[in-house]
Amino acid sequence: MFSDRFLRNKRNVTLSPQERGTIEAAISEVRTLEPRSILVRAGDDIAHSTLLIEGIMSRYIDDRNGLRQLVAIHVPGDFVDLHAYPLKVLDHDVATMTAATVGIAPHAQLDAIIAANPELGRKLWYSTLIDAAIHRAWLFRLGRLDAMGRVAHFLCETNARLQAAGLSDGHRFALPLTQSDLAEICGLTNVHVNRIMRQLREERLCVFRSSLVEIPDPQRLAVRGQFDPAYLYIDLPDVTLPSSNRPPSP
Amino acid sequence: MTNPTEQQPRSDAGIATAEDGVVILEGPNGVAVTMTAQAASQTGASLIAAARLAERQIAANGEPEAS
Repeated sequence: MFSDRFLRNKRNVTLSPQERGTIEAAISEVRTLEPRSILVRAGDDIAHSTLLIEGIMSRYIDDRNGLRQLVAIHVPGDFVDLHAYPLKVLDHDVATMTAATVGIAPHAQLDAIIAANPELGRKLWYSTLIDAAIHRAWLFRLGRLDAMGRVAHFLCETNARLQAAGLSDGHRFALPLTQSDLAEICGLTNVHVNRIMRQLREERLCVFRSSLVEIPDPQRLAVRGQFDPAYLYIDLPDVTLPSSNRPPSP
Repeated sequence: MTNPTEQQPRSDAGIATAEDGVVILEGPNGVAVTMTAQAASQTGASLIAAARLAERQIAANGEPEAS
């Protein structure tokens, strides 16, 4: 099913087979997209939302000089632009990072879901709130962490999200992104990311090679990146809070 | 009384290193910037000049709080 990974292993929310069927029925078209292709441009009128079935997608904003800041990464199971349902126009571009398969859900179909099934509507809302939580974590990452912390935090987050989607075993996952992508995610230069990746490898915190990420000790990497997975609302015993990240109570 | 969560001037120094013909300046407080050698030299000179001026301000007005 296209929607198998949607809200999979999330806390306080479970989709019944009927609800997954309803979402599947709302998908009018399945598209395959080339890597690095733009799906939505900022300012476009939008009449559908996009469920990512396979691949990795991004949301990004370019500055006046054309330099790009990635503001979100999406993994399979994410509704990439569900926030476009009420907004109808986005303030950022949406593009594929890798080859991707997406399901197109016309907003008229989402209208029908919400009218007929408010509980499923609440779960769609939950999905957008997870997006908002991730945005808060990205602000924290860029605002408070040093370069290695930013990269460590992103890799921990991606590991946890892919684990929830069934695409990481908690230590190892495919991540077909470039160091340039990591630079645009973490607000660093390519040369800086290159050095950070070397340091992570030398400290045996993480090896990222040939689009494969290996994290020997996720807890150590989480501590280095001050990563607290609570904001992801993942309901998996392996995705635990490293208590050493918590500051002592005053 | 000082709010412990309030941003304070840092008393720990940033560390600059050279990598592949550019200068990487890291920390404190999440600073992570890559500069050309020329920009790094100019930044260094500007930092030293500003530090000397801040020292004169301290001499005149007293020490600010640092974290």
